[in-house]
Amino acid sequence: MSASIRLKLCLICLLGLFLYAAARCQAQQPQPAQTNSTSATKNAQAPANESEEGEKLFRTNCGRCHNPPEDLSPREARVVLRQMRVRAMLSAEDERLILKYIAP
Amino acid sequence: MIGKIGAMLVLIAACALGAPAQENVPIISGGADFLTSTQGGATTLLPALVPVVAAPLGNHVLFESRGELLEFYSRQNGRTGPYQHQFIWAIDYMQLDFVIDSHLTIVAGRFLTPFNIYNERLAPAWIHNFENGPFTYSFGNGPVGSSTGLMARGVLVARPSYEVNYTAYYSGLVDLNSHWGTGRTAGGRMGVFFPGPRLEAGFSYERYLQDTHRNIEGLYFSWQPKSVPLDVKSEWAHSPSGQGYWLEGLYRLSRFRGPDSALGRLAPVARVEQFHRDQFIAGDGLPGTNLKEGDFGLNYYLPHEIRLNGTYGRQFSSQRNVNVWNFGLTYRFLFPMWPGGSK
Repeated sequence: MSASIRLKLCLICLLGLFLYAAARCQAQQPQPAQTNSTSATKNAQAPANESEEGEKLFRTNCGRCHNPPEDLSPREARVVLRQMRVRAMLSAEDERLILKYIAP
Repeated sequence: MIGKIGAMLVLIAACALGAPAQENVPIISGGADFLTSTQGGATTLLPALVPVVAAPLGNHVLFESRGELLEFYSRQNGRTGPYQHQFIWAIDYMQLDFVIDSHLTIVAGRFLTPFNIYNERLAPAWIHNFENGPFTYSFGNGPVGSSTGLMARGVLVARPSYEVNYTAYYSGLVDLNSHWGTGRTAGGRMGVFFPGPRLEAGFSYERYLQDTHRNIEGLYFSWQPKSVPLDVKSEWAHSPSGQGYWLEGLYRLSRFRGPDSALGRLAPVARVEQFHRDQFIAGDGLPGTNLKEGDFGLNYYLPHEIRLNGTYGRQFSSQRNVNVWNFGLTYRFLFPMWPGGSK
């Protein structure tokens, strides 16, 4: 297989991967009003349970490598968790619950 | 190759900037570390600053990068003579993460090679239990530990009793003599994590495509039982260069008056490792001879993310046996990139 064909195949694969990623992202964009009301309801119902669940998830996923960080503000914690979501392969729900634990 | 990666980064960043952003603030985290090591009577001093930048771009994209700034002090003749020093810097990774869902994240740019678990998860000074890395570090990671190209990663299957995770990557050739040097490689890692016993086991594979093609294989496991503050990790790796393993354990004394008591902040650590050289391959980054080593020591976790670490080890080789003493002081920091960013 010549180099130019390989290059074209690579570019087609990359484009396909990118389009798939973009489509998945678009499909997952939450409606702001729904998200807020869902979060608010959950917060009102069981914030303590969510924090406990977040701690459990932290111990299970993040605690495999390191201890909990100290004194993070919610905004800092959100960025740290985004970073850790990639490393530890967390779901969006895991990210939300762990945030409740490390920056309540 | 660099051009293609650059084009991808720009494309993804443009897409990300168009996405609605939450209250995201870029942060700088990382560690400041001072290590003194004496091996066979030769002492080296190593102050280091390792900053990590993380900047979210919209809700699905994250830019992250880690650099290393080191000043390496050693004696002119090994054990004697005046101290001389050398400044060393490196970019460990500089990548864009395109988080789609827990099943797929695409990483583009320069990233830590995900071969086994040490390089990606345990290498930072504020995480590792021993200041000196294992003999097997360069298996699959090369001397620099980074790849430049594309990586896909995520969780294949998630069930209450188990979870299967994966990474797959391709790295292109970048000038091997530069700070960014990487050889052409392709590989991946797959692991199974059992949340009940908190046990993870997996394997890694890499095909080195530069010059002489060769395969590198690895196995790893990690175990943190719920009932005991114990952390056990191990890796094994094999390539035409040779094979080696390490096994280490940490037991935190948090059961004695709680994790914040003077005694509860202490953690004894121990490690055994071995490397067997089969053939010499230039530039593989592995030890030149057969080695065995046993280390033990103490970690002490002070408040405000400061950690003291002291270890003693005995290294056995076909040339001569030596004592290895390490002492390290690590401070882990995190702050927003501009004032008021944490509010």
